[in-house]
Amino acid sequence: MDISIFTRAMLAGTALLVAVAPTSAAEPGRLLASQCAQCHGTNGAGPGFEEIAGKDLFNDLLDMKYRPIEGIMDRQARGYTDEQLRLIADYLSTLPGNGDD
Amino acid sequence: MKNTLNRRQFLKLASAMAALAAVPRAVGAATTAPRVVVVGGGFGGATLAKYVRMWGGNVQVTLVDANPNHVSCILSNLVVTGALPMSRITLAFDSLKANHGVTVMQGRAVAIDAAGNTLTVSTTSGNKVLPYDHLVLSPGIDFVPAAGNWNPNLTPHAWQAGAQTTLLKNQLAAMRSNDTFVMTVPKAPYRCPPGPYERACVVADYLKRKGRTGAKVIVLDANASITAEPEAFGHAFNVTHAGVIQYVPNATVLSVDSSTRSIVTSAKTVNNAKVLNYIPNQRAGAITAGLPLNSTGFVPVNPLTYGIAGYPNIHVIGDSCAVPSSDGKPVPKSGHMANSEAKICADAIIRSFTGEAPDKDIATSSACFSPITNKTSSWLSTNFIYGDIFDASGNVKGKGMHRVDAGEAEADMIDGDSYQDMFIWADSMFADSYS
Repeated sequence: MDISIFTRAMLAGTALLVAVAPTSAAEPGRLLASQCAQCHGTNGAGPGFEEIAGKDLFNDLLDMKYRPIEGIMDRQARGYTDEQLRLIADYLSTLPGNGDD
Repeated sequence: MKNTLNRRQFLKLASAMAALAAVPRAVGAATTAPRVVVVGGGFGGATLAKYVRMWGGNVQVTLVDANPNHVSCILSNLVVTGALPMSRITLAFDSLKANHGVTVMQGRAVAIDAAGNTLTVSTTSGNKVLPYDHLVLSPGIDFVPAAGNWNPNLTPHAWQAGAQTTLLKNQLAAMRSNDTFVMTVPKAPYRCPPGPYERACVVADYLKRKGRTGAKVIVLDANASITAEPEAFGHAFNVTHAGVIQYVPNATVLSVDSSTRSIVTSAKTVNNAKVLNYIPNQRAGAITAGLPLNSTGFVPVNPLTYGIAGYPNIHVIGDSCAVPSSDGKPVPKSGHMANSEAKICADAIIRSFTGEAPDKDIATSSACFSPITNKTSSWLSTNFIYGDIFDASGNVKGKGMHRVDAGEAEADMIDGDSYQDMFIWADSMFADSYS
């Protein structure tokens, strides 16, 4: 058996599969952060309330979570563990946004 | 040409073979991209279609809906009062096609062949059979009408927006002084828990603003008390709209006669109302008929995938599904929640294509704004985290979406800022689901 031909065929097959197969899902924080999009726009970039893409909002989210409830975000922030808020903030900070408030 | 592999070549080959082995058969065997078919273009189905395309790379997504566009129930009570035009709540599928490459098929899903992995769709050009690798059902609600002679073309429910909304709007506009508007609140669980109370408020507000002296809104609630935002709506019924709204709890509907606009309930009977807005009890959409249903007529799902026991590649999201949750803390049926669930389902489907387990570090939420008058609104916010769920005694009964309770779920005041925020929220929700 000509192993190098087999190797090339295998790798060519793999390359084809990579082109066809879907993208992997595993981006930490992406799924959790998508739950912000109903009010802040897809990928945090509006339309909606304050733009949340491209900013590190971890301290703001913690502040909302632990201060007395006034607005709807104080309620929403309580819906996540501190670790989840960290993942959300880290992921959102990597997104481009539009530079809007 | 050498016949031997060095260590580096061997590792490359081994990892290539491992990658092949990790690809599930449905993908590995296919020469084309995996196929996801979605039934229902409401907030759940539209969001699912968009996010599978956005996150999943090369996946074919076909969205099936009976209508050429979706008319949103969100904001539809303001179309009933004439505050907004119908165009404001009519959401096209165009952006899903143009921006995300979703294929849209107009037609009615009529049959699932779970063994053969196909969905049959009835269209104007005959039946189409769509093969799928994953099928996602987001068909919304169906009605379970009471005995009698019910005809929604005479007495609109307006609980699916569109022509029904227009019919109710026209009937409301025809009301004069001393006329009576009778509406029902379905037995929970039903679509949009605050919705019926919101409708009572904006209808009462409309009648007052139009100078319809002596006109009444009678709310016949099948439940024992107000099921959502009890503080806000209690205040609205007892103070803001006192003398106009009459609230009747424990009113189980026994029979309805649409031709005379009459209704008999266990608590009160009304004959010959000027407007009868009978909103029947609800169950999962008809396409779920052959799937396992719970005692209230909805489809129990796995909260990590929205999959169904015994059907590995069929998922149900939105109003039709029943998510395991703690006793007394159900997951609400709402457009916002359907959008939220769609993202978790989309992520789980994409992971299954690459052989990954579903994410367990997940959360869902539902928020909404409820107009009380034509200038003021309340809000409601609930959040759920995956983990232990509890029975009424506080004992762990399994895994599911547990509602995080922290203070009141509803706003502590009804104000004009919230009324303005309502439109920001709705526009954001519309765009996240349809653009």
